[in-house]
Amino acid sequence: MSELSVNHLLGIKYLKEQDIQLIFETADHFKEVINRPIKKVPSLRDITIANLFFENSTRTKLSFELAEKRLSADVINFSSGQSSVKKGETLIDTVNNILSMKVDMVVMRHPNPGAGVFLSKHINASIINAGDGAHEHPTQALLDSYSIREKLGDVSGKKVVIVGDILHSRVALSNIFALQLQGAQVMVCGPKTLLPKHIGDLGVKVETNLRKALNWCDVANMLRVQNERMNISYFPSTREYTQQFGVNKELLDSLDKEITIMHPGPINRGVEITSDVADSKQSIILEQVQNGVAIRMAAIYLLASKIKQ
Amino acid sequence: MNILIKSATIIDSKSEFHNKTQDLLIENGKISKIATKIKNTNNYQEVKLDNLHISQGWFDSSVCFGEPGFEERETIKNGLKTAASAGFTAAALNANTYPVLDSNSDITFVNTKSHNNAVSLLPIGSLTLGGKGEDLAELYDMHSAGAVAFYDYKKPISNPNLMKIALQYASNFDGLVCSFPQESKISGHGVMNENITSTSLGLKGNPALAEELQVARDLFLLEYTGGKLHIPTISTATSVALIREAKKKKLDVTCSAAIHNLYFTDTVLKDFNTHFKVLPPLRTQEDVDALIEGIKDSTIDMVTSDHNPIDIEQKKIEFDHAEYGTIGLESAFGALQAIFSTKKTIDILTKGKTRFALEQAPINIGNKANITLFNPDTKYSFSQNNIVSKSKNAIFEGEALKGTVYGIISNNKVSLNK
Repeated sequence: MSELSVNHLLGIKYLKEQDIQLIFETADHFKEVINRPIKKVPSLRDITIANLFFENSTRTKLSFELAEKRLSADVINFSSGQSSVKKGETLIDTVNNILSMKVDMVVMRHPNPGAGVFLSKHINASIINAGDGAHEHPTQALLDSYSIREKLGDVSGKKVVIVGDILHSRVALSNIFALQLQGAQVMVCGPKTLLPKHIGDLGVKVETNLRKALNWCDVANMLRVQNERMNISYFPSTREYTQQFGVNKELLDSLDKEITIMHPGPINRGVEITSDVADSKQSIILEQVQNGVAIRMAAIYLLASKIKQ
Repeated sequence: MNILIKSATIIDSKSEFHNKTQDLLIENGKISKIATKIKNTNNYQEVKLDNLHISQGWFDSSVCFGEPGFEERETIKNGLKTAASAGFTAAALNANTYPVLDSNSDITFVNTKSHNNAVSLLPIGSLTLGGKGEDLAELYDMHSAGAVAFYDYKKPISNPNLMKIALQYASNFDGLVCSFPQESKISGHGVMNENITSTSLGLKGNPALAEELQVARDLFLLEYTGGKLHIPTISTATSVALIREAKKKKLDVTCSAAIHNLYFTDTVLKDFNTHFKVLPPLRTQEDVDALIEGIKDSTIDMVTSDHNPIDIEQKKIEFDHAEYGTIGLESAFGALQAIFSTKKTIDILTKGKTRFALEQAPINIGNKANITLFNPDTKYSFSQNNIVSKSKNAIFEGEALKGTVYGIISNNKVSLNK
């Protein structure tokens, strides 16, 4: 397969396994590119991409922008704080206004689940979902799987536990879909208040004891507790959360095997993960960040080649 | 109004002509003759339609017509036209207005606006002042003006003591209190049924538990207070079971279910289509089956289209921000017939009238003509062309429905679709 089965990257649930492999193979190439002295290719000189961030982001926005620039695309940036959204303009109108300036592709982060899916039905441009509420964050899941593949050789057959706030996490959901599509086994672990009641129906194992979860897994993906998404308190205190769901060196060393530690960032050091774990050789957190650029280059490149057809 | 209806098959178990094909002579709004053949000696308007069936006029216990305040969604005038074209001779109008209908003069406004129409519009007053759920509105005064029930439309009464007092107070004048079945702290910011679909869409779930807790609470209150309680639009299997038990205890409770909750499950939301955003939310197949069973054994007293026109500006937006609700009058008959037999459909559409202070008028000689005319056998895909409402938010768009409506004869008026 040489092209994606989709015209947008709205979520992992809309992809096929071959799509993921194609993105990985393309990312392999771009990863080599970004490690050259000249880190840039002219592939997308005729493509204009709008990064529309209707919700705060630092690292994802930087990663996308860098990926776009490494591909030589023209890039415009937009944040809702500076826009007419606050004046009551609808999402469709805002985006159509930007598209009328001859933009080819939209990278969008939005606080509402399904915003990308909704937009894809009403506008004429290729859309990459850079996170929509608690729905999906497909490029994060792709770079996570890519990093597992890089570290362990393959994703298929691996046991991955996602730890923390699953209820508010688009990263968890996209990772579940991506890992399952590639034949990995997935477990979620966290306090019951932060696990969706029906999460088990997605075919994942559910565990509330972190030690048991870590003993089971090959890889632990530690999520940040998203206090900003919580309108009520889901646990009594951060201190108590850390006592039960924080990974520290002592816990890691007491396991039967050496597991790989991941984190999508930003890290709350001392909460879900201690510094000595985050900075240990078992951690691939910074590799994830580097792979993020290659993965996003691959996704943008593959979608852009469909536009060019 | 004088009219001669030719060869109509009468579907009315309360009529001595049930299941018979007859001519009907209607003079001055009353059925003066029913016979195999009636000659049109007085040269009255004659109605002769393909596969014509007639039944008692249909009733919908929950509609919204926007006015006053939301005229961009719907007006009373066009709402009545919609109801007539969909076969309804009576509809109970919710206080889903701005300001809400919470006084004698508000009720009088609706009565004045809907006066002299083929469709009887029965206003429901707000239970609390401004629909805020804090202080009781002047229920007796609204009752005196013609309010048939009291309901804070789709808003739960969170304070159990207020509900207790409402039931006690309204019982002084045999008033019907309605309570929206949702415990709002449990439903939280949920926008669809809590289940695997909400989980995989990342949408906040509104669990069945939220509804069932409120139903259970209200039934406990009713047992304590006496009085008359109606629970509009239940949607879960456990709600059906709770009400079934309450009826065994002879509590004076009725309930309804929305037609779309009998037809769809929450899986249709998988691509975030806001036409499927309704309250109570679409639930699971198990819930749908239990609701249908509840209708069959009369635990559920009536179904409703739960007709709620919403303008496109409030629907063509992100799912979280979209308004709840769908229009339903136009699709009600066709959708029910996609689930039930014609006989059962007519039974359902003519139930619940007395609960909302309407008289029953079986199709018999001497009775007032309160009739819906229809063809039960047509099959079609419901489309925008079938919509009479000002707003086009139809949950049934694209669905294969069965049966079309020819019109109504009611209140000494004829309203036939072109």
